[in-house]
Amino acid sequence: MSEYLLEMSGICKSFTGVKALDNVNFKVRPGKVMCLAGENGCGKSTLVKIISGVYTKDEGEVLFEGKKISKITPAEATKLGIQVIYQDLSIFPNLTVMENLAINSEITAGRALVNRKRWEATAKEALSKIGYNIDLYAKMGELSVADKQLVAICRALLFNAKLIIMDEPTTALTKREVDALFKTVRQLRDSGIAIMFISHKTEEIFEISDDVCIMRNGKNVYSGLTSDLTPQQFTFHMTGRELTADHFIPKNISKDPVLKVEHLTLKNKFEDINFELRKGEILGVTGLLGSGRTELALSLFGLEHPKEGKIILNGKEVHIGSPIQAQNLKIGYVPEDRLTEGLCLNQPIADNITLSSLKRLCKAFGLLKKQDLIDDGNIWKEKFSIATDDVRKFASTLSGGNQQKIVLSKWLSNDLDVLILNGPTVGVDVGAKQDIHALVHELANEGLAVIIISDDLSEVVVNCSRVIVMRDGKIVGELEENDITEEVILEIIR
Amino acid sequence: MKEKIKNYASKNGYTVMLLALMAVLLLFFTITKGGDLWHLGPWKGICMQFPEFGLMTLGVMFCFIIGKIDMSFVALGDFASILAVKYMEANVTEGMSNGQIAGVIGVAFLIVIVIAIIGGVINGVLITYLNVPPVMATIAMQLVWLGLSTALTQGYAVSGVPPLYSEIGHMMVFGFLPMPLLIFIIFFAISAFLLKYTVFGEQLYMMGTNEKACRFSAINTHAMVIKTFVLAALFSCFGCMIMVSTMNSAKADYGTSYVMRVILILVLAGVLPDGGVGKISNVLLSIVAVQIIATGVNMFPELNAYYASLIWGGLLLVVLVITAITNGGKKFSFKKKKTS
Amino acid sequence: MNTNRVKRIIGRAEFWIFIALVVMCIAIQAISGGQLFEPSTVVTILRSMVVDGMFAMVCLIVMVSGGFDLSFPAIAALAYSLSCTICLNMGWCQTNPLAGFIIAVVIGAILGMLNGWIISNFKLDTMIVTLGTQTFFLGVSMGLLQLKEITSQLPLGFRTFGESYLFEVTNSAGLRSTMTTMFIPFVLLCLIVSFVLNRTMFGRALYAIGGNEVSAERAGYNVKRIKFILYTVVGAISGFIGMIRVCMARQSIPKALIGKEMTIIPAVILGGASIFGGEGSVFGTVCAVAIITVVSNSMLLIGIDSYWQDFFNGLVILIGIMISAIQTMRRNK
Repeated sequence: MSEYLLEMSGICKSFTGVKALDNVNFKVRPGKVMCLAGENGCGKSTLVKIISGVYTKDEGEVLFEGKKISKITPAEATKLGIQVIYQDLSIFPNLTVMENLAINSEITAGRALVNRKRWEATAKEALSKIGYNIDLYAKMGELSVADKQLVAICRALLFNAKLIIMDEPTTALTKREVDALFKTVRQLRDSGIAIMFISHKTEEIFEISDDVCIMRNGKNVYSGLTSDLTPQQFTFHMTGRELTADHFIPKNISKDPVLKVEHLTLKNKFEDINFELRKGEILGVTGLLGSGRTELALSLFGLEHPKEGKIILNGKEVHIGSPIQAQNLKIGYVPEDRLTEGLCLNQPIADNITLSSLKRLCKAFGLLKKQDLIDDGNIWKEKFSIATDDVRKFASTLSGGNQQKIVLSKWLSNDLDVLILNGPTVGVDVGAKQDIHALVHELANEGLAVIIISDDLSEVVVNCSRVIVMRDGKIVGELEENDITEEVILEIIR
Repeated sequence: MKEKIKNYASKNGYTVMLLALMAVLLLFFTITKGGDLWHLGPWKGICMQFPEFGLMTLGVMFCFIIGKIDMSFVALGDFASILAVKYMEANVTEGMSNGQIAGVIGVAFLIVIVIAIIGGVINGVLITYLNVPPVMATIAMQLVWLGLSTALTQGYAVSGVPPLYSEIGHMMVFGFLPMPLLIFIIFFAISAFLLKYTVFGEQLYMMGTNEKACRFSAINTHAMVIKTFVLAALFSCFGCMIMVSTMNSAKADYGTSYVMRVILILVLAGVLPDGGVGKISNVLLSIVAVQIIATGVNMFPELNAYYASLIWGGLLLVVLVITAITNGGKKFSFKKKKTS
Repeated sequence: MNTNRVKRIIGRAEFWIFIALVVMCIAIQAISGGQLFEPSTVVTILRSMVVDGMFAMVCLIVMVSGGFDLSFPAIAALAYSLSCTICLNMGWCQTNPLAGFIIAVVIGAILGMLNGWIISNFKLDTMIVTLGTQTFFLGVSMGLLQLKEITSQLPLGFRTFGESYLFEVTNSAGLRSTMTTMFIPFVLLCLIVSFVLNRTMFGRALYAIGGNEVSAERAGYNVKRIKFILYTVVGAISGFIGMIRVCMARQSIPKALIGKEMTIIPAVILGGASIFGGEGSVFGTVCAVAIITVVSNSMLLIGIDSYWQDFFNGLVILIGIMISAIQTMRRNK
């Protein structure tokens, strides 16, 4: 019997000539939490799909419990005791908890008829594995993300799982829910199950994992004990460069605030929010998921409608009922989710850039010249160095960072007083991240008032001249320039 | 040159396919029917027949481009034309001068426009404010309009169209251009212009690709949806008014088969109901191709009109399968990578 | 736990459909001066539910799986007209209609297979595919085969089967109505569909696919095969329903079912099925069909011209759709 549960060595995988995985080696110990870390597109998900049998490897060796496994199929992976909990959890929102728990094993058993009693027994057995209690007849779609995740974990345990792979499980969880999840993970670990935890969040990795494997560009650049690493080394391995923190230093902050928010309250989301924003400064708004940060931004952009409180713009109280009114008041908003809220992926880059400024580009009677769109697109392409040879290509042909530049230029081509950025560098590679930060600094120094909403603390620290920390819908802290450090924010945020 | 053609073909798959289809059809009918096809008769028939459903197709095209569907347009058009005919019947009396009758016809058209706007707004409001899926909303409205028409007419055709109206409908403008065709050309020009040279057209395509992103980009998506459905309703009501002139009456269930035919034409033209894509020139080609099939089948005395249905359905299935094979197998993206 | 169960029942669409049905019946009973619950009226209404109700079952199972079938009336029409033509020419079914039913079911299954093959193999939009097959099947029956209307020559077996009845009722005015035998296949179909949907892995697979197709595949279902079987079975049942219709109407008219889908689909949606799949039940669907049949049949009872029945049907569906839309919006808030 080997000391390791799963050993992978020299794994290579190419897609149409592009190497997605290049000689990857790592080991998973039973009863330990192993973290697979890396930035977006580094090959983490490809690796998971090879372990779970969705993809077949080109080269390399896989040992499970010391035995060599030549070919893995999804069914075989299940038989070996490998279970993957995907980010979308693979649940059926229209079925009950009981059905979600039992259906996989019923299918595997090749049953033809439904036996309610057996299903119920299976479901109860699954829940008992982690001592979790929930109404078996509740509809899955009506549960919280955290509950859905626990159900998915229970379901995985039914198959006598020896290795559970969790793909970015904390993305949509609040802090409290993450704590609960970690408790369950530790419980599983102590019962001898190996957990492979995929993440890119530094604090989480240090909190939960025993071993860590860091990947970058399809190679694993570090694997070993988590305790041997410092957070700085970890970030270095993740990004491949020493981050030279180019702190933002505001140059010309206006005397009068351009935006003033007084006692703003949105029922069940946030209450009594007060702050001021001056031209030339970058205000950070940070807080965990569910702290009300996104709803606050949406309220300033006319997509949420707070009943109480005032928004004062350039000394006048305004009512922002829709994004159109926000645009007229010179407020721009770069949304959180680039793909669903920011871009028309299957449309040309130029059309995406000009989408919110069509009114400016058109002539009398709503007439529009396509060439004007392309010219405008080219201007931003140059200004932002968007990596494309032709702005008539679809936005979907670009990488995440370049796509984000499109969303930014969409708003910057308007004449703005206030720009709200929600998670401006989520899923953006390091190079583009620095480009975007530099550009935001430049814009602020040219006199734009910027709000950055982010839970990426290093981003907040580097970019913001003032920071508001939110928790449970309330402002719980406000920091000025030199007080802003990750440690201080972390202290307040929880 | 070869490269250029190849490039054009890969970018304009539907255009190439439709042109090839037309060529095959014309060749087939020429071979089987000899010179019969190349007389004025069949072509006149083609020009007289396609404008009514052609107009409807153009209207529904707008809905498809924003990724929605309209199933209520024929029922709404029938209802509007029944009201219009009823109005004309009641108000045209013997001994009226042509000028007076023209006035009555004008008012009848005003009624049609008002009904179209009401119908379009109801569809739009259901879809954009109440979030009813477009298929459901427009099927329900289709039943409502059909029910209203049936109740109003007790299921009978409403005749009493003033002779002047049919005369205008059958008029040859400048001696060679049938009136319905002229109307179609005008509406086609308007649609092409809207799509290509206006902010509205640009926003339509963007909405079809991602409506949420458009709302986040300060576009009034609610208004856009309503405008689109009003446009579809207007086009379809005018189509039904052309039908009134050819049938010389209005009835609750005239043109019910057009619902399916219009969707078929649009899918053949590559205007997919997912939204965001579609070229109006392809829609024109597709309309004409579908009409050529109908007219061609008509030239065989031993075949009935349902043969056209057979060919249309078969054609749609074949095109669907071909596009699924060529796009689904990632062959396209592979090719693109190789050339670039 | 008990309050939970009550909550769950109240939260279901079919509960409200049922309440609506009951309320409507009581209202019509009151307005019409007690005519609705006359045995003869009830029998007539049940009789006119048979064909629509069966079609609704077919439509329901497709919709549960997330599909949208426009072709089932065309399949039924082609199957029954071809079957009747064959029987007529061969001189079959003079006493026993069974052969005709078998032929229709086989034809229906073959036509359904075409749907199933295209949909499962090429992963195309079901609505567009079935639009294509619908047009195609109409062309086959009316164009290629030139099937004729069969009225007075309809084989005697179909006729006698269609005229057979379970029992007879007489209303106060002495009017006699008969309860058709065709009601039995309707009830049986409802029970079978209900059993399949709730008690078999195949039925749960349909819900699972309708809820999340990717997850269903990951869970181990062979989605491709299930879809193929589904559309084949749906075709077969459609052929069967078509024959029932022929027997009840005592004639075979190839064009008779054109546009039927446009009234069946809304009824199924009214009964709680979602066009996005994964929702819907036999009970809700039957209630919705009952509502529509009652509305259509009681126009005269409450003194409204019967020409308004289409309008009121449309209105009922529109209101139903709007209520469920508003509910969803509230829930999402």
